[in-house]
Order: sequence, then C-alpha cells, then structure tokens
Amino acid sequence: MSDVYTEAVERLSRVNGVRGALLVDAEAGLPVTSELAEGVSGTAVAALASSLFRRTAQASDAAGYGRLATMQLEADEGHVIAVDAGELIIVVIAARDAQLGLVRLEAHRAAESLA
Amino acid sequence: MKKPAQADLQRWSEEVARDATSLAFLPLARAYRRQGQRAAAKQLCLRGLEHYPTHAEAHSLLALLYLEDGERAKAADEWSMVLRMDPNHFDALRGIGFCYLEQDQLSLARQALERAALLRPQDAAVEEALKVLGTRQELHSGGTRTNAWSDDLKSARTDREGDDIAHSAAVGVRADSSADTVADAGAYEPWAESPSTVAPEAPVISAPPVMAAPTPPAVRPAQQPLSSDPSEIFAALMTGGPLLGVLLLDGQGLVMAGSLGDGSAGSAELLGATLGPAISEAARTVSLLSLGGWRGMLLEAGTAVLHVSPVRDDAVVLLAARRNAPTGWVLRTAGQASEIAVRYLEEYA
Repeated sequence: MSDVYTEAVERLSRVNGVRGALLVDAEAGLPVTSELAEGVSGTAVAALASSLFRRTAQASDAAGYGRLATMQLEADEGHVIAVDAGELIIVVIAARDAQLGLVRLEAHRAAESLA
Repeated sequence: MKKPAQADLQRWSEEVARDATSLAFLPLARAYRRQGQRAAAKQLCLRGLEHYPTHAEAHSLLALLYLEDGERAKAADEWSMVLRMDPNHFDALRGIGFCYLEQDQLSLARQALERAALLRPQDAAVEEALKVLGTRQELHSGGTRTNAWSDDLKSARTDREGDDIAHSAAVGVRADSSADTVADAGAYEPWAESPSTVAPEAPVISAPPVMAAPTPPAVRPAQQPLSSDPSEIFAALMTGGPLLGVLLLDGQGLVMAGSLGDGSAGSAELLGATLGPAISEAARTVSLLSLGGWRGMLLEAGTAVLHVSPVRDDAVVLLAARRNAPTGWVLRTAGQASEIAVRYLEEYA
C-alpha cells in the first residue's frame, strides 16, 4: 500500500466532521485504501460511489459540460463527496454539520497530490 | 500579527548572506516590506525566485510589492503566475480579482472573486467586492454608467492617500496566508485587519448611493405567478447571473418543464436521460451509508455546475449554472427552483 494513499486518507479523516474516507480505483470500482466506520463496507461504498461518479461524469460529458471534477451527495444526515483524482476517485463521507468548505478543500488538495 | 523579533531578522539576514539559496529570503523580504523597505524586499524576492521560480508565496509577495509601487500590471502578472501554480491560492485570487475589477473586466473579476469567496466565505473584502461587482454588472446591463468603479474608488479614498492605498484597502490583500513556519514568524498583514482594528485613517470602500443595489422584488421568484408555458416556469429565476437553466424531470428522466440556457431541447433531453438513472444510485449510496434520505446531488464539471434535487417522489429538479457560480448560491437557487416545481406539479401536472 502506497504511503501517499494512506496519508491522503488519514489526512482527510482528520478533518472535523469527516466520518470516513476512501480512495477508489476509478475503473474497477474497488477500494484502494479506506478509513471507514465499523460496519461500513468499503467495497460496497466504493462500488456505488464509483458507479455513480462514472454515470454522472458521462452525463456531464454528453451534455457538453466537460469533465466531472466533483460530485457531492446531500442527505438528511450527512454528505458524500467524490472528487476526480485521475485514475482514482476520492470519496469522503461527512456528517451533516461538517464544515463542507473545508472538507471539499482538503479533498481537492488530496486529488491534486494524487492525480 | 506579531512583529518578527530582531533576532529573527538577524538570523534570516545571515542565512541569506551565507547561502544565496536559503529560503529565509521570504520572511526577510516580508520583514523588509513591513519596515517600508520595499526596494530591498523586492530585490530579495527577485533573487529568491531565481532559485525557486515556482515558489508561489514569493510570487505572491512580489505581487503585493508591485501593487504598492503602483505597478499593477506586474502585480497582476505575478498573481497570474501564482494561480498557474496554485489555482486555489486565496491571496492571488483576491488580488487579481480586484485588478480585474479595477480594469472593468467584470466577468474575470467575478470568476476570481467567487473562487476566493469559496475558499474564505467570511472574507469581508471579497464580500464587499462582490457586492460592488454585482451592482456594476447591473449598471452595465442597464447601460447607465461606464466607469463607475474608478469613480467609486475616487470617492472612497481619502485625499491624503493615493489611489494605490484605496485599491489596497479594497483588495484587503494579505501578505502571506499560507506561509511556512519560519515565515509565519514574520508575517505581516496590513490589509487583513478586521473592522474593529482598522486604523481610523484607513479609507473605507463602500458603494456610494448611485451604486446601491437594486431594490429586491417584493415577491420572491419562487412565489411569482407561474407561466402557463412549461418551458418558462422557471423564468423568474433567470435574471442573469450564472444560471444557465432549470429542468423538471420525471422519474424516467423525461423533461416535464423548464429549459436550458442554450435553448436546445436536445441537450435538455440528453441530460435528463443520462442523469435519470443516477438518481436511484444516489439514493442507494446514501442509504448504504445510513445517511438518511437523499436530498440532492451537486456536480461540478469543466464548464458548469449541476444540481439535482428530488421533488415529491416522482420527479427531480435539475439546475445548471456556470462553473464559477458559488456553491452556496447554487444550493439556494436550487431550493427556490424546487419550490416552483412543487407548485407546478400541484397546479398543472
């Protein structure tokens, strides 16, 4: 396991309000490394998040809006943020009251360092 | 921001004298700038950049020094360089945003300032600039004034201090927001003072009466009467700005109402058809993570920001905005679009 990957996930996980983070192989939809709460399946989250990211990326591309950089899901109890990092997708799960601006900034920084 | 100790200055000086490649040039240049020795500070920056040509903070400091010397084009060049190295460099975004604003390049100013606002939503200088910018754009669209920003600056600055100072105060530029530890010891932020600590003589940039924001409509867009034309139901939201269009899609991704800014029904149908299946996946993903009900999805692509939110159980609202639209604005506008969609579904569908 690359230290760079582990460090990126650990750094993201330390941001206030972040419940978990993982790096996903964009093509295979498999987790590369993750820090998730107990009971949460990294494999399942990776598969769903990458599938959703791919699908929305295709829609954006088809509509002529260009490459998808960030996808953010809003839910009653939190947020899921997925950021394009080249061959990887960074997925961050944040609590409802998380400082989303900070979470997004860190996710983009991580993407820049990994892409 | 505390002053660097004399011992620090001495140490940095010795380091730079001993080793021309020492990174101590940056805190030393900051200290010189603070002491008003801008020529020396500039020279240090230029020398340092010979060894570290991609040092964003050094370029950023050099930009400030140029600005203070009235060399605005050079300042803008330096900030452009910083942004090529670090597109999220707050100081550079803010600085170049004000340069654009002053040059009346409103679209570019908005792009830079809104990105700066995303990074630091609480920055008062950026917030104020965006207000002025919004009013300027309103005036431009009305064709009533052509050089209001320059006039604003002139009316806002004090006679004692020059245009540069007025510009600087408006810019509110910080010297070093993300400097390294050594540099932090010497950081100096003359323009980053909070309102409570602004020196009495500091000029305050505020919009004169002629620049006052237009009176908001008495009725919110979401409460205005609905058009009987389905493609026009979101027209109340389409008042310029970064909004490209809004669509109401059914559960199969078919367009029920609304339109996209390009007027192309084809792209609206295409977007609906390709995004439609993603909705159920979004709901499944948040459910798997025990995050409760799905409330929306924000997509940031190369040239646009899209927001999808569910309306009742069988429809979604899709909003498209230009890429530089602030996220908070997108979310609020999406909320209003949802209100309109709900009314439309209740009254017509």
